[in-house]
This record gives sequence, structure tokens and C-alpha cells, in this order.
Amino acid sequence: MIPPIDVHAVLQQSVPGPYADLVTRPTGRAVRERIERAIADAPVAWMDFTGVRCIDYSCADEIVAKLLRTVVILLLRGVTDAHRMAIEPVLQGHGLAVVIVTSAGLELLGPPEAAAVVREELLARRLAERTAGGTLALTAA
Amino acid sequence: MTRLVDVPQQFDDRSFEQFAASFAQGAAGGERLLFDAHATEWASPYGLVGLLVAGQAAQAGGRERPLLTVPANPRVLSYWARAGFFQQAALLFEIHGKVPKVKPAEESDVLLPVTAVRAAEDVHQVVSNIQRRATAILTSQLGIDPKATMGFAMALSEACQNIVEHAGTSGWVAVQHYEWKRRLAKRVVVIAVGDAGVGFRHTLEPTQAKRFGDRWGDGSALEAALIQGTSRFRDPGRGQGLKGIRSYLSRWDGKIAIRSGTARIAIAPSWDDDAPLTEGLSAFPGSQVLLIIPEQGTGAS
Repeated sequence: MIPPIDVHAVLQQSVPGPYADLVTRPTGRAVRERIERAIADAPVAWMDFTGVRCIDYSCADEIVAKLLRTVVILLLRGVTDAHRMAIEPVLQGHGLAVVIVTSAGLELLGPPEAAAVVREELLARRLAERTAGGTLALTAA
Repeated sequence: MTRLVDVPQQFDDRSFEQFAASFAQGAAGGERLLFDAHATEWASPYGLVGLLVAGQAAQAGGRERPLLTVPANPRVLSYWARAGFFQQAALLFEIHGKVPKVKPAEESDVLLPVTAVRAAEDVHQVVSNIQRRATAILTSQLGIDPKATMGFAMALSEACQNIVEHAGTSGWVAVQHYEWKRRLAKRVVVIAVGDAGVGFRHTLEPTQAKRFGDRWGDGSALEAALIQGTSRFRDPGRGQGLKGIRSYLSRWDGKIAIRSGTARIAIAPSWDDDAPLTEGLSAFPGSQVLLIIPEQGTGAS
């Protein structure tokens, strides 16, 4: 699997100044464009939000929602409660879902119908498997 | 000839209409304006930002730079200086009266001095500064969950972005916290964002006017933006900003009010008696956004 994209590092490359906040549409657009170049046409992308302090709705829309126009599965790690506050309503608004990777396993974030589609994709692509407890975990692949 | 615009003695969102009426009357003549704040005893961030907006608009159409008479009360003068008002005002007004040389910010009640917002970089700076200064205040003095302080930065970011995205000109933001003895008997954090731009009606007219028909105006434009979450863009991801601000404020029993053109809309919690929608106000340029977050828990009046 491709290595996760360090979103904080991409942010640092995209804006002048040592900012740790993913705010404003122009910033979101710049970050997304760099990520799109990095993942090329891959159907699965990994993004690591570690080090990102705050993400606003505009950036969540520009980055997460718009990446999901081309990417089938978007795995996010290093996502805090504050990040979720911005990402979740954006996913709801678009009817999209992402996969949150935590130490406890995988969590699907988004409306149930969209989450079900992503769950099936994860299993079909053998990126995840069902655990004994009924949850999803990443495969070693 | 110079026309006088009175700055209210207590200059906040409640007395703003008095100021707007005086400004509209003064601006109608096309003469040079003199903003008289000599008797002003107090100004909220909303008042300070509103004064800058009026100053910017007073120069429109190549009119002579407006005059500003500073408050006579040295305590008030010092506070305005510490709030960063005069740094911005010096670019807009011919200032009359001695302005103290005080470094803005680094004051406990000024969470964010009056700051110009012109581009996305300014929003980054604002969000970065507010998190450095406000987190401790929000958690220790307002009783807001530390995890939720990030939502405060998000709300501030979205409010500032309205200027960058829609106003067509620059604007200002200011954040302060203080004890609201008479109105609430609690501490509050007040965010004021204002610009002298095109306003909500102009922004939304191409996509929304037809839908509203005869009802279209400043009031319905505010309704469309704040209540219905519509945007001038057809992209379904747009319009999330104000919705997000509403959701954050609702969680913390906060208030939002937006004034644009001749109307004002407010979503007020139980502690406030603001009217949901007021139309037919004196015309005032651009948009002015007010966000208030009260101290959580005990102390309600």
C-alpha cells in the first residue's frame, strides 16, 4: 500500500509561514492539488493529519470532499475530535464517507449508505478484513 | 463643508443603529465626514470594527479622507489603542486628538486586536494568533471544553473568510472578552467581523433573487445565507461556513447576528431578546457579523 501523505508537511509547503491550521479555501485547494499530484490516479489514498491543529469546513470541503471525486477509498489517520467536527458535516452534506484509522481499528465516517459502499470496497480490495469482534481492521497488504 | 457623524457614547451592537442612521444621513450629502467620538465612553469590538467600515466607505467615490475626533476620556483612548484600533484607523481617517503610543494586544481582555483581513494569509494569521491567546481564556474563564476551543478557531476562520470570498474588499476582525454585567451577568467572548464590501444581497442576487421574487432584499438575502445555508456557488460544499458557525454557537448557547445593507438577522439564545429579523434599517455598507459566546454554567441572570 502507498505510504500515507503527511498533510501537515503538505500544508507547510503550500502556504507561506509556519502555520499548523488547515483554514481557507485557497489553502485547501493548494493542499489538495499537491495531494492529487502525489497520489496520481490511485483509487486509494492515505492521509495523515498528525500535526494539523485545526481544519475548518472550507478546507475539509476542498480537501476531503473534493479528493473523493477521484479517489474511491480515502483513509485518514491522526484525526482528532476537532478535525472530525469539520470533516463530518462536510461528508454528510455530500453523501460521502471516509475511513478513519485508529489504534482500535477502522471507523467509517459519513452517512450510513456511503459508509456501507466504502466498507464493501475495503473488503473487495482486500484492504481490510473483519475481526472476530465484528469490526474492521487493515490487512497486512 | 463637513458633515458630522456622531459616535454613540456606549458604542456596541445595540447603539449601532443610531450610528448607522447618523452615517447614512452624513454620507447622503457627499461632503467630507467628521466622525465625532469625543464623548464615547465605551466601544465593543463591533463598534470599533463598524467605525472602521464607515471610515473606509466614507472615502468611496474619491471623497476627502474623513476626520475622526478621538475619545476625550484617556482611559477609553488607551483602551482603543490597546485594542489596535488606531493602527487601522490611521490608514483611513485624519485623526484629531492625541493618540497614546501603546502596543496593541498582549492585554488580557483583547484576545485579538483589530486586525485587517484582506486575503487568505490574514485568516491564517488570525487563526494562529487566536489559538495562542484564546485557548486558556475559553477554558478557564468561560468554562468551554478544551476540545471545543478548536471550534472557536473554526468559527472565526469561517467568519473572516466571508470577507475574503464575498466582500470584494478588505475588512476587519476583533475579539475581546469581558464581563457583561448588565446584559447577562456573565463573562463573554465577542467576535466582530466587518467589511465595507458588496453585502449579502449583491453576492446572492444572481442565484437567489428569482427564487424570492418580490420578497428579495437585504433581509431575504440574510435569511438565505444564514438560515438556509445558500451560497452564490452551485457547489453543494459551499455555504457550510455559516452553518458550521451556527452549529458551534448553538452548542455553547452563543449568539450570531449579521447586519447587511438595511437588514439585520439574529439567531439569539434564550438569554438574549434580539429580534430574529429587522428590515428597513438605515443603509450601511458591507456586512457586519457579531458572534457572542457566554461563560458556561453558573452565573446566569
